[in-house]
Amino acid sequence: MTFFYSLLHNTFLQNALLAGVLLSIAGGIMGSYCVVKKITSLSGSISHSIIGGIGLFIFLKYNLNQGWADPLLGALLSAILSALLIGFTHLKYKSNEDVIISAIWSLGMAIGVIFASFTPNYTVELSNLLFGNILWITGADLIILLVLDLLIVACVIIFYRKFLIICFDEELAILQGLQVKTLYFLLLSLIAISVVLLIQIIGIILMLALLTLPAAIASIFTKKFSHMLLLSIILCCLLNLSGTIVSYELNWPPGPSIALLSAALYLTLLLKKKKKIILSHRRE
Amino acid sequence: MSAVHLKNIFFSYDSNVILKDSSADIDHNTFTGIIGPNGCGKTTLLKLILGLLKPNKGQIKILGKSPKDVLGKLGYVPQMANMDRDFPISTLELVMMGDTKTKIKELKDKAINLLEIIGLKELMNSPIKYLSGGQFQRALIARSLIADPQLLVLDEPTANIDTKSEEKIIDLLLRFKKYGTILMVSHNLDVISKAADEVLLVQNNITTLPVDKICGHFALGLYHKLKDTI
Repeated sequence: MTFFYSLLHNTFLQNALLAGVLLSIAGGIMGSYCVVKKITSLSGSISHSIIGGIGLFIFLKYNLNQGWADPLLGALLSAILSALLIGFTHLKYKSNEDVIISAIWSLGMAIGVIFASFTPNYTVELSNLLFGNILWITGADLIILLVLDLLIVACVIIFYRKFLIICFDEELAILQGLQVKTLYFLLLSLIAISVVLLIQIIGIILMLALLTLPAAIASIFTKKFSHMLLLSIILCCLLNLSGTIVSYELNWPPGPSIALLSAALYLTLLLKKKKKIILSHRRE
Repeated sequence: MSAVHLKNIFFSYDSNVILKDSSADIDHNTFTGIIGPNGCGKTTLLKLILGLLKPNKGQIKILGKSPKDVLGKLGYVPQMANMDRDFPISTLELVMMGDTKTKIKELKDKAINLLEIIGLKELMNSPIKYLSGGQFQRALIARSLIADPQLLVLDEPTANIDTKSEEKIIDLLLRFKKYGTILMVSHNLDVISKAADEVLLVQNNITTLPVDKICGHFALGLYHKLKDTI
């Protein structure tokens, strides 16, 4: 197969593959938290609102010649800001949470599009982040990915039990005297970091597929959260790899190839599960 | 010093007044039933006692302290309907969630011991979604007991479960009474009349009733008549 032949000689492809593994660790772990806490729409809001940060930093970099203003840094900062705003809304204004999350989603996109219109010659960077382009990844990016992965893994190991309680029963967490606000903000910030990592592969528009579908598939097969985390990472890796191979062989864009494979696998397994449940009910 | 002391409590959700000028005292090592019609504020009262909500006016003392100073000393069993039964954890993990301070090894032994007491040891590795309503409710009670609380607060623990499971739960609670105080919301006046030492009737304010007052008033629609008979 041309993919494996190219992999031996093409540094871009090797970097892309390694990045896929690193991103899958973050995506698999934080996607599992999104699925069990039922906050996948919240991660959608984070991913879309970061267009504002990307647009602003592209504007700063090219119109105002601010060399430090890397669009990815803009994405990371705006993702964390959105996560904190959403977390604050969840804790303080629960009844209006849905509307406020949608407002943050639209506001970020609006700001991004306005700044992009001021820098019409450089919108390719915005476009790459919208649709993803894993062949972008450089050696320096891999080091950043590794550091962010280590941060996520360390936080999850340290706060594993506390995060689990917050996801399952927030009131119990309050009654145990846990720092619920701090832990919730930390959890959302880690999700925000994962979102920024994942958009490099699959892009903002399709990011939700890679964040939630491997975790949702893992939830079908596992009975314990720790097992779900591991399986979700493995599935995320496999879907990444197979999506990249399909895209390479068929000359399709990588992001949509990964999203299509993930969705097809999830829907097939879900239908099989439903069928099994119906058959077992009929036997009873 | 009473286990729970409520003095002139006012509470409202925006303009909807739930409790006004409500007072009550609950003694240590007693079983108190909380009754009242739907939407009268029974769960709100529990959340005020637990410190999950703050009153607009009035004073709440739990074990002689403000609710925020007794965090970790209270056990809470929420309404089963509000829990996510598909959450991927085992029965043992659910029970262990009740304590974040004890070391894992010690906590695991304690949780297994509790599961044995409530008759669920064989199901300790089962995911919670495979437990029946009664089994899940007992596991939630075990979770609330694992940190040795001095006050146990339960919100309709016998709702939607069969009579046999209901009896097991009440038996478990009565055994706990030696070690702490129990506050239980229930619509089942039969259960309350059998297990409780006294009753708080919630209907705009709180009225303390001796348990024999509620005998014969099992139907939910009779709350207003119950109040008239006081």
